[in-house]
Amino acid sequence: MSGVIRRVAVEAKDLELLEGTPVLAGRPGDRQLTEDLFQPVWARTRRGWLALFGICAALTGVLFTAIGYTFAVGVGAWGNNIPVAWAFGIINFVWWIGIGHAGTLISAILLLFQQRWRTSINRFAEAMTLFAVMQAGLFPILHLGRPWFAWWLFPYPSTLGIWPQFKSALMWDVFAVSTYFTVSFLFWYVGLLPDLAALRDASKSRAARIAYGIFSLGWRGSAAHWRHWRIAYLLLAGLATPLVLSVHTIVSFDFAISQVPGWHTTIFPPYFVAGAIFSGFAMVLSLMIPARKAFHFEHVITQHHIDNMTKVLLATGLMVSYGYLCEHFMAWYSGNPYEYFVFFNTRLRGPYAPVYWLMLFCNVVVPHVFWWKKARSNMAVVWVAALLVNVGMWTERFNIIVTSLHRDFLPSSWANYKPTIVDWSIYVGTLGFFGFLFLLFLRFVPSVAASEVKELRRELEHEAHAREHAPAQGR
Amino acid sequence: MAYLLAEFKDDQALLAAARRLRELGHHRLDAHSPYPVHGIDEALGLRKSRIPLIALVGGVAGAVGGYVMQWWMNGVDFVINVGNRLPHSPPTNIPITFETGVLLASLSIVLGLFALCGFPRTYHPVFEVEAFRTASVDALWLSAEVSGAEEEPVTRELHQLGALQVSLAEEAR
Repeated sequence: MSGVIRRVAVEAKDLELLEGTPVLAGRPGDRQLTEDLFQPVWARTRRGWLALFGICAALTGVLFTAIGYTFAVGVGAWGNNIPVAWAFGIINFVWWIGIGHAGTLISAILLLFQQRWRTSINRFAEAMTLFAVMQAGLFPILHLGRPWFAWWLFPYPSTLGIWPQFKSALMWDVFAVSTYFTVSFLFWYVGLLPDLAALRDASKSRAARIAYGIFSLGWRGSAAHWRHWRIAYLLLAGLATPLVLSVHTIVSFDFAISQVPGWHTTIFPPYFVAGAIFSGFAMVLSLMIPARKAFHFEHVITQHHIDNMTKVLLATGLMVSYGYLCEHFMAWYSGNPYEYFVFFNTRLRGPYAPVYWLMLFCNVVVPHVFWWKKARSNMAVVWVAALLVNVGMWTERFNIIVTSLHRDFLPSSWANYKPTIVDWSIYVGTLGFFGFLFLLFLRFVPSVAASEVKELRRELEHEAHAREHAPAQGR
Repeated sequence: MAYLLAEFKDDQALLAAARRLRELGHHRLDAHSPYPVHGIDEALGLRKSRIPLIALVGGVAGAVGGYVMQWWMNGVDFVINVGNRLPHSPPTNIPITFETGVLLASLSIVLGLFALCGFPRTYHPVFEVEAFRTASVDALWLSAEVSGAEEEPVTRELHQLGALQVSLAEEAR
């Protein structure tokens, strides 16, 4: 008899061990949850928000001024030269689009794998994707040289009587990035509909009710709506999953199908995808840790979420490290002198070597801090490490692009690259523009998907109920 | 047409009420909830959604269209010689074919969702009932479309099934 009781007790303890820290702390009621999660939308504008918004708006001004200058003067305003024809434009494009990928990963891939911890963070991550892709899209357009003819990239029947050249990886990029932006937007908006309706219904002012009423398109939470919505959401997730892999694969093709030493390698697609997820998770953490604290969302975004995200950072960091190792091995093993020169001379000892060593520190060394639970549960450590990873992934793209280009086959055509003030203004400006959009999102849209958290709460309740009753019935 | 709206205290009560009303021959029923309720489709006798079929058609059309576009533009209408490669080169067409397939599948899913749910439709008679605003926040509601004569017996039935409150929603004039 006592044996049976002991066994039951052990099982309950095992379950706790297995489940670890909860994905939802406490069991707040639906009304409470709605109030908590919508509180940032209804609350009065806070000083901190206003200050940040002011800074970001100013930086957005800098961005558009720099863009205007680039339009007026031409890409000569940038530091690009021959051989370094791809510099900040493409570094920042790849960096921003990589950041976007974690959002899709969290919302789509984790939905397909039925990972519950995604529920509290997916909206946040999707918004990040959307705004990051917007920044990314700016760069190749500006880099066109004549950006006012950007629509020439799309196949439309023009009086010129010609069509785009589809054998170019740059055309693949056009289709990949525009598809990615469209699908990310649709996925985000479809997921947002139930919450917009809840905002409409919970709103206290008529203006808010009308505004959210329009954006919620008449969502009534009807069984018929949910029936179509669930399958639509799942299918969009199913499509977004291969899409996100394809987008960064295609971005890596921009490099891999060329013949530049340092670019012409088959490891690029998987290595780029791993790097994208790595940098994206770092960005989610960098944004989420302050927001979680400011909005008191600790019961919804728990230690469980932070823990899992840091583990993903560690895992993808190891993959990225493997990529570096593999590149160097192949450069040595292939016996190709140009390849060898890039990896063992230019990168390690060239004029941009400090950037290379900074990259190794940020991407290879820093993630190892997450082996320790103590580090994973210290928000300051996690935040700083995540920021360092963001820096590391930017330097990685700098290395791939500038270091490979500035010394290629013929020493007589070597040239160094130096970014100009316009380059820096555009880059820092996109950081501001991203923050600008993100702050608006935090202010006007619930940053945690309330309807999904309510569903999760229901599931957890059913399970707790089943667990309480199962041992008694079983024996 | 008017709608009778009844609030129920939990999933089980809502499901039981939906089943009972259907047994009594009411088929113009709907349920409203802040999250998808498990088992409601069966209780209301809703058929499977046609969204997957719409997505498939859209995806196939997108992929085929994307491939044909590349073949016709670069291989037939305006041939570009790139390093003496074939004008119609299947491997280089793969990325764009995949992207257009995904793009059209996603657009058809969302447009299909709009068409099947009747979006955008910002006005609906059920919004006339003030208490119904809880339907997207924390309450479960059943709605039955009724004609004038049915109103009274269905209201009685809903009360018997344990409805917390019942209201009539009519289109504003």
